[in-house]
Amino acid sequence: MSDSVESRPGAAAGRKRPGGPFRHVGARGVAGIFLVAALVFAAVGAAAGNVFYLRLGTEALILSGLAMSVDLLLGYTGLLSLGQAMFFGLGAYASAVLLRDYHTGFWGALVLTELLVVPVAVVAGAIAIRARGVYFILITFGLAQVIGKVIYNTRWLGGSDGMVGIPVVHAPFGIFRLDLGNPVSFFLLVLAIVAVLYVALGYLMNTPFGRTLGAIRSNESRVRYLGFDPWRYKLAAYVLAGMLAAFSGALYPMLRGFVSPELMSFSMSADAVIMVILGGVGTLIGPIYGSVILIGLKTLISGWTEHHQIAIGIIFMLAVIFMPRGLIGLVARRASRVVRPEADQ
Amino acid sequence: MSQALEYFQFVLAPQMLNGLTIGVAVVLVAIGLSVIFGLLDVVNMAHGEFYALGAYISTALYALGVDFWFALLLAPLIMLPIGYAIERGLIQRVYQHEQRHILTLLLTVGLSIVLQDAFDLVFGPNTLRPDNPIPGVTEFFGIYIPNYRLFLLGAGAVVVTGTWLVIFRTRLGAMIRAAAFDRDMSASLGVPVLRVYAGTFAFGVALAGLAGVLLAPIYSVFPTMGHDFVLLAFTAVIVGGIGSFQGAVIAGLLLTQIQAISSLFISPHWTEPLVFGIMVAVLVVRPQGLFAWVGRG
Repeated sequence: MSDSVESRPGAAAGRKRPGGPFRHVGARGVAGIFLVAALVFAAVGAAAGNVFYLRLGTEALILSGLAMSVDLLLGYTGLLSLGQAMFFGLGAYASAVLLRDYHTGFWGALVLTELLVVPVAVVAGAIAIRARGVYFILITFGLAQVIGKVIYNTRWLGGSDGMVGIPVVHAPFGIFRLDLGNPVSFFLLVLAIVAVLYVALGYLMNTPFGRTLGAIRSNESRVRYLGFDPWRYKLAAYVLAGMLAAFSGALYPMLRGFVSPELMSFSMSADAVIMVILGGVGTLIGPIYGSVILIGLKTLISGWTEHHQIAIGIIFMLAVIFMPRGLIGLVARRASRVVRPEADQ
Repeated sequence: MSQALEYFQFVLAPQMLNGLTIGVAVVLVAIGLSVIFGLLDVVNMAHGEFYALGAYISTALYALGVDFWFALLLAPLIMLPIGYAIERGLIQRVYQHEQRHILTLLLTVGLSIVLQDAFDLVFGPNTLRPDNPIPGVTEFFGIYIPNYRLFLLGAGAVVVTGTWLVIFRTRLGAMIRAAAFDRDMSASLGVPVLRVYAGTFAFGVALAGLAGVLLAPIYSVFPTMGHDFVLLAFTAVIVGGIGSFQGAVIAGLLLTQIQAISSLFISPHWTEPLVFGIMVAVLVVRPQGLFAWVGRG
């Protein structure tokens, strides 16, 4: 479904406003198309009563939050995290414990998870950001490996089996409440959450704070000469990304009813990076598409063979070499090609 | 007094010897990583998978009737062209990019994903256990050591010394170091830089393969065998100091000793966080590594 959507949006959006900055017009158009496509998906899924695909779509949306958090670091701050699944997994485990053992309910689980994760992110970030360049990457990688192994060996958290039996909850919104056991309403709720996060992050990246992050990505020492402290900004971005990943993770047990150490494994962190690269670094909407594409590809290839990782890995390497700006980059380039002759007229 | 001696003989010494075996294993994996990281400035996230590839090639060779000693020679030779082709086909494509650190790292992440699943596809997910080529034990002062582990200690020393000699005492090594130090200058002096880069990568990959053949009889062979090892190898390279061979060797041995001895007092589950904590502390306090002063040649 998403494939047929890919080729149109940039071109369409670009033609409408030839004079505007393509990237943002294009991105907005692509985001709009995504929203419409997701709503159509929900309607078709609801009509067909297909719980499997609705839940799979919800999972892709949840993972897009993790992918956006990687993009926030890589695309906007210039920091590659190879351990972002650590926060996703911490969020998932925290939410699972809160829901199952403390019956905190939907909002309680989300808020308390964030409160638990912020200090972890501050400490981890303070350590990781002190190290520069590839060392930052290796620390995020190592930190996630070690924390993952500690959880794997903690019997209280279910060890290698993980935790099962997370109760199905309701999401109260003042006058009404959503039953998260209903796959359609859960899908729509997560879609709304992702949309809000996308708009909020897009706005934040246009504030002086976000622009400073971009400046750090381009030239850190010049930012320092201008009197900013890059370390603080990077730490803020890291904590924000950690909170975002943990937030997405906290939604996961509500959907699947279980958590397992795989949620904070390296392959999860790598998946998040693959989503960002496939979709388009530094676009925010790219990772959302990337998440849908990756989950779609995995499901599709799993129909033929269980060895989908070979195909995913090859596609990822090809994307790194030939498509460094991702699908959104391709779309934006096509949009500018369409637009240029009109602009000349 | 005799109690202390008994503690040493039956508890501490076997634990330290065990740690030493793991230490040699880590050093063997780390030495190739150090070549690729220190000279090419490429973070090879697929290094653990190359280590596994060496082990798998050796099991395939055994199945063909090749004996251990011949496989020890043949497996790294098979891996040389593989490493060369991967450098020319993948790494070199993004080597000139301004963000080459991130891009080369991403490519090797992709490669590790592909290789890990390929092992599973070709050889199956089950653990393979090659026969021990040197069975039996030797007794030293009441401490029993399996012969193969003794051999491994010697082999590790030979590999490390040999690598050091190649890099620092041969004309080829001088060319490699020159190309790593100043690409343009070396090129203008007639060093075939691109081929040297690919050759260096292939050399590091072959070293990983050699480690795979050597360690397969002890740690057995399974698709994710490299993944569990690579963090420890990276830790050794970082704690030792990038580009410092002796540093990586000392750090590899030291860290695994810390791991082995501390596991007598704390749960083994916590030794890994401990070693990783040391790496983090080194990176924060002394980013050039603990043993960078040991020299680079």
